[in-house]
Amino acid sequence: MADTHAASGHDDHADHTPSFFVRWFFSTNHKDIGTLYLIFAIVAGVLGGAMSGLIRMELADPGVTFLTNFTGGNVEAAYNFYNVLITYHGLMMIFFMVMPALIGGFGNWFVPIMIGAPDMAFPRMNNISFWLYVASGILITASLFAPGYGSNLGFGGSWVLYPPLSSNTGSPGPAMDLLILSLHLAGASSILGAINFITTIFNMRAPGMTLHKMPLFAWSVLVTAFLLVLSLPVLAGAITMLLTDRNFGTSFFDAAGGGDPLLFQHLFWFFGHPEVYILILPAFGVISHIVSTFSKKPIFGYLGMAYAMVAIGFVGFIVWAHHMYTVGLTVNMKAYFVAATMVIAVPTGIKIFSWIATMWGGSIEFRTPMIWAIGFIFLFTVGGVTGVVLANAGVDHYMHDTYYVVAHFHYTMSLGAVWGIFAAWYYWFPKMTGKMYREWLGNLHFLFMFVGVNMVFFPQHFLGLQGMPRRYIDYPEAFAYWNKISTIGYEITAFGVLVFAACMFDAFFIYRKKAAANPWGEGATTLEWTLPSPPPFHQFNELPRFDKGDAKAF
Amino acid sequence: MKILTAMKKPIAAISGFGVWAATAQAQITPGGIGMQPANSALAEEVHWFHNIILMPVITIISLFVLALLIWIAIRYNSKANPTPRKFSHNTLIEIIWTGVPILILLAIALPSFELLYKEDVTPDGQQVVAAGDGQTVDFVFANNFPESRMVRRPGHLQVIVDDGAERRVLKHRADYSVDGFGEADLVVSMTNPPPAGERVIIRGGRSVDHRGDVTLAPTMTIKASGYQWGWTYSYPDFGDFEFVSNMLPKDQTTPELYLREVDNRIVVPVGETIRVTTTARDVIHAWALPAFAVKIDAVPGRINETWFNADREGVYYGQCSEICGIKHSFMPIAVEVVSRPAFEAWIDSQRALAGLEPMFDAETVQLAQGSAGAVAE
Repeated sequence: MADTHAASGHDDHADHTPSFFVRWFFSTNHKDIGTLYLIFAIVAGVLGGAMSGLIRMELADPGVTFLTNFTGGNVEAAYNFYNVLITYHGLMMIFFMVMPALIGGFGNWFVPIMIGAPDMAFPRMNNISFWLYVASGILITASLFAPGYGSNLGFGGSWVLYPPLSSNTGSPGPAMDLLILSLHLAGASSILGAINFITTIFNMRAPGMTLHKMPLFAWSVLVTAFLLVLSLPVLAGAITMLLTDRNFGTSFFDAAGGGDPLLFQHLFWFFGHPEVYILILPAFGVISHIVSTFSKKPIFGYLGMAYAMVAIGFVGFIVWAHHMYTVGLTVNMKAYFVAATMVIAVPTGIKIFSWIATMWGGSIEFRTPMIWAIGFIFLFTVGGVTGVVLANAGVDHYMHDTYYVVAHFHYTMSLGAVWGIFAAWYYWFPKMTGKMYREWLGNLHFLFMFVGVNMVFFPQHFLGLQGMPRRYIDYPEAFAYWNKISTIGYEITAFGVLVFAACMFDAFFIYRKKAAANPWGEGATTLEWTLPSPPPFHQFNELPRFDKGDAKAF
Repeated sequence: MKILTAMKKPIAAISGFGVWAATAQAQITPGGIGMQPANSALAEEVHWFHNIILMPVITIISLFVLALLIWIAIRYNSKANPTPRKFSHNTLIEIIWTGVPILILLAIALPSFELLYKEDVTPDGQQVVAAGDGQTVDFVFANNFPESRMVRRPGHLQVIVDDGAERRVLKHRADYSVDGFGEADLVVSMTNPPPAGERVIIRGGRSVDHRGDVTLAPTMTIKASGYQWGWTYSYPDFGDFEFVSNMLPKDQTTPELYLREVDNRIVVPVGETIRVTTTARDVIHAWALPAFAVKIDAVPGRINETWFNADREGVYYGQCSEICGIKHSFMPIAVEVVSRPAFEAWIDSQRALAGLEPMFDAETVQLAQGSAGAVAE
């Protein structure tokens, strides 16, 4: 095992924390910034989740009956409000919930610790990454309350922002401009954060920790950071062109001026497809650790797991047009994207089976994080295989823009990435807070979420197969049955979130059980478990070493 | 691929998309879990590919993973297995779980590509019709396709005889032989000369559907143009008259058809290949028709093309499938498939509305020429 006795919990100086304001507003400490990101993600998650609640309440029954309560009975304003809800739900969850939680939150907290570094490479850049995110969050909130279409507030063209619906033709008001600026800042923040992670991981690993000895969560964040650095500038370029189309008379995406609306779609999805791997890869990393910890076994096929993520990241850049099968691509181009897209199933399959092989022969403790991790493996499999269906352009012509797609990406994102977030939360909560939670509350949370979310999204496969289009505020009566089930599922899920809140309240204020440095036992072998819970303000004043013998950090 | 085609026929029959299913209301089954009933050979093949290939494969994979997880939970929990094993590699199993998925994906990819090319290459089948006289046995089919689309093997050719009462598809070798595959002129030699009064229909081309029928080139084009929030349609082959198609408000239609029914449906003839071109005036829309497995975006400044060939008469509905603003949910698509005579009568009524002379009042058909399916009958 690594020689980590130098972890400096005993060093008084290390716990000399700054005053409240300096600590949380000028923070340069990776753990504090991680905490800030997590708080930010929780706020955004509650808002985004509430938006999905409004969406589901409206869709509970045919007819526009619910959202009119918010628009003083004005039906057209309700139509707009619905589109605004689906748009901001997507943006909130992607940019302001999953990314800050997995990369900004858990990434900041645990990547430096896992690689044996005292902090991130650029602590002050880390600070500005976070506060740019806050500024971005303020702008998107402002956009929600600015006129978009006519006197209606907010931009209602869905998170993909396709022009001409997002240009002056479809959304002349300032809501879209504010949204573009918000995404610029979020993008800048993520690029800075990604540069920080890449530099940290390449330069600040503990002595002797080669890349091939590095924990898989650090691997996953490394791959994710490369995806961010390579894809976000393309989004930034696309939305900048959109901004100049809207305000300065250019016509990049305006057919009347010689531009092409589809150019935007290509640029957007060149970012957008890597983006979905940005969301899921850190979750892959977390799940590997949890599965290994609670099986009390080393990760099966470590190199395969690491390079499967690299492969997924690489192939993720060359499959973007599978989001565009119906826009009028030539058939040969579609055939290429069908083939390339299906290739992704191979490294993803390697990951799924390697997790199973890690558990195989293990001595599994079904603690709360493990239950979430096993749930993740199954749900992500379901989301993955429907992706194989959709990869086939011949069938996608039927499925495209139906609820089948909604079900697919919610199984991978909402039941994949979010499951990864909850698994990581329950896994690292004792480490981050120094407190335990009650297992049965965590299990109850899992139970309600698992039942609820499956009830929300599984029937949406049926709706999609029956041909119900996405982004519809009203639907024919024949679709009513499964929509009702889906809404009931949402209610169960919402109750599950309340259980989560109760579990956390209980852990902080009632249960108040102190967590040991390593609450999970012999299976937890990464460096964070060698530190006290919570870790000292500065860790590793003397670096852990991996250059003696062939000790590994996982 | 031959084997696949052979497999498909019985499978399409058992997958339950019967001939009589497609009344308007039955397209969406309340509480239904499957695809909308198919109304074309192409849509049947999409159903076959999804229902017979993809669905079972993904279900088996998901259940396999679930079964492994359950087995692990039972066998390797800390009570059942207190001492964990410590292995972390097994090259053989890693090769297997890389290789087997590749094979599964290849098995999916082959029919997938076949289907995709069938969907995206507009049919270009041609037909010649000749009258039998009791003596002639040789009939010529002009094989004037581009090199890559030429009739090259018996499967690209269909010989049908029609005695006025029924149509019979002849069998290659038993009923006729063919000379000149891949050459400019193809000669079909019948074993027995068709009697007078019988017509010989020879259809050729690469656009062969899963039933083995040659799909003929489009007989007509419909131009669909999306706007916020409705569609305009025009019929360039029949005088380019144009009409607007808007959703019927709730009080003018039945509860079942509300959000799907329109004031002016598109009318098309049954059994003919219809080319649909789409564009849009303001933002992007998408023209979708699930019963035909058709969906194509309508993009401003671009013209996209798709096609369908309806098996049965009836009314078929679709809905705009690209978000286009506040009334995205309220611009449905309705297609009425009718017989050829009813279609011609409808065309003349529309031409009258547009102030044009009737096109079909004479005995002879004056269809726009150059389209192979529109054979003088």
